[in-house]
Amino acid sequence: MKQTSIRDLLYETPGPAARKKIRVWTGVALAAIAALIALIVRQFAETGQLAERYWSFFAKATTWRFLGQGLLTTLEAALTGAAIAFALGFTLMRGKLRRNRILRGISTALIEFTRGVPTLLFIYFFFLVVPQMGWKLSAFWKITLPCAISACGVVAEALRAGVNAVPKGQTEAALSLGMTETRLFYRVVFPQAIRFVIPSLIAELVIVLKDTTFAYVVTCADLMQNAKVLISNYDAMLSVYLVVAVIYILINYLLNKLSDVLAVRLHSPAERSAAA
Amino acid sequence: MSVSNLLSQYGDRYIQALLTTWKLTAFSFAAAFALGVLITILRVCPIKPLRIAGDFYVQVFRNIPGAALLILLVYALPYLKIIFSYEVCVLIATTLIPSAFCSEHLMSGMNTIAPGQIEAARALGLTFFQMIRRIVIPQALRSTVLPMTNLLVATMLTTSLASQVPMRPMDLTGLVSYINTHATGGVTAFAISAALYCATALLIGFTGSLIDRKVRILR
Repeated sequence: MKQTSIRDLLYETPGPAARKKIRVWTGVALAAIAALIALIVRQFAETGQLAERYWSFFAKATTWRFLGQGLLTTLEAALTGAAIAFALGFTLMRGKLRRNRILRGISTALIEFTRGVPTLLFIYFFFLVVPQMGWKLSAFWKITLPCAISACGVVAEALRAGVNAVPKGQTEAALSLGMTETRLFYRVVFPQAIRFVIPSLIAELVIVLKDTTFAYVVTCADLMQNAKVLISNYDAMLSVYLVVAVIYILINYLLNKLSDVLAVRLHSPAERSAAA
Repeated sequence: MSVSNLLSQYGDRYIQALLTTWKLTAFSFAAAFALGVLITILRVCPIKPLRIAGDFYVQVFRNIPGAALLILLVYALPYLKIIFSYEVCVLIATTLIPSAFCSEHLMSGMNTIAPGQIEAARALGLTFFQMIRRIVIPQALRSTVLPMTNLLVATMLTTSLASQVPMRPMDLTGLVSYINTHATGGVTAFAISAALYCATALLIGFTGSLIDRKVRILR
């Protein structure tokens, strides 16, 4: 389904004169982009970064197996972190929607706290302070837990937006039928709410995945850390980091695409704007 | 260490670190906003290669992890004989990433404008630039106050990247890891930094929703 966006509506159908102008400028733009790419390639060539020894080891299966292992750890950390963030976020969301003032206050405070503090600060906390308190964690948990904590506030707010997007009439109807509030929440409201927020939950998974790149702080063998090992093996900094950056970009791009597709699939446009 | 101990020993440094974080945030956000507008113009212009280039830029910087970008800038670019100071590297990273999100927000802000308005403007004989200036930009900006507020907070969180390079003066995150590796600041050292970050985020959020309430278009 092709959505019409404002992007296509801004212009009238071009006449012959405008078409000619657009053609000329398209040519100029193409030339400029080509020049830019040429400049970058020249810089690579002049500094010797195109030399075979910087790139040939990417043809070896062992290189990719090693990067793949790192990637697997990265994905494992991201998925585990996201799952924990979902559990924590769900709890905070339930807390924020309670009638009990104290519970609501605590939940709100925790949500604002986790949303206002950078992930790196949580990571340093788990790296520097938690071991001092005598809590021995493996490197995997030292990166997964702070990433999860840092994401849970955003997840809570996303879930709350979903719950609020479910029409009030349904709650009233269920209550008048004699459903208990718990049953109402899990049977009527939440199944609909979760459909609203799946796209934003995937977007949050992307953020967790990005945050796991800080795993090198706690020396967890993720993609970034394995890249460092490759670099010291082959003495090839630029090529390895570039390839790794492209891997991250591709994975996150695909996840974001999935989120977009689901956003269109799961709902009519009216429902989506209600949840936003 | 107790709060008073920490503050008497490192109080000045905390203030300096807070100011550094604020400065990085302000510079990055201003630059990211300008760049975001520019990229958005590319993405809606009628010249196809520029549209594609704009989309490509956004996808790259929206999806690259901050740490990966910073490491590329700091450690890999010198191999291409492109060398920036640590501070410039941090500023570039904390500008490029938010600029991509800024452009995304502006695009979705534009999409809230009803197509009928554009058709009406054209029927009234407005020129393209009049249409952009009088109809598209004002509405796009008014409906993006809240996303932009969130972007400013996100930019602030991104500036914690500064702690990954030996930059002086240190930012709030850098200072905490400094204190904890030189002395045992413990939980308190973190709590102070976290409180300063949170206070800033709340201040931004409060101001943002105030502005939003003033300018939002009710539909």
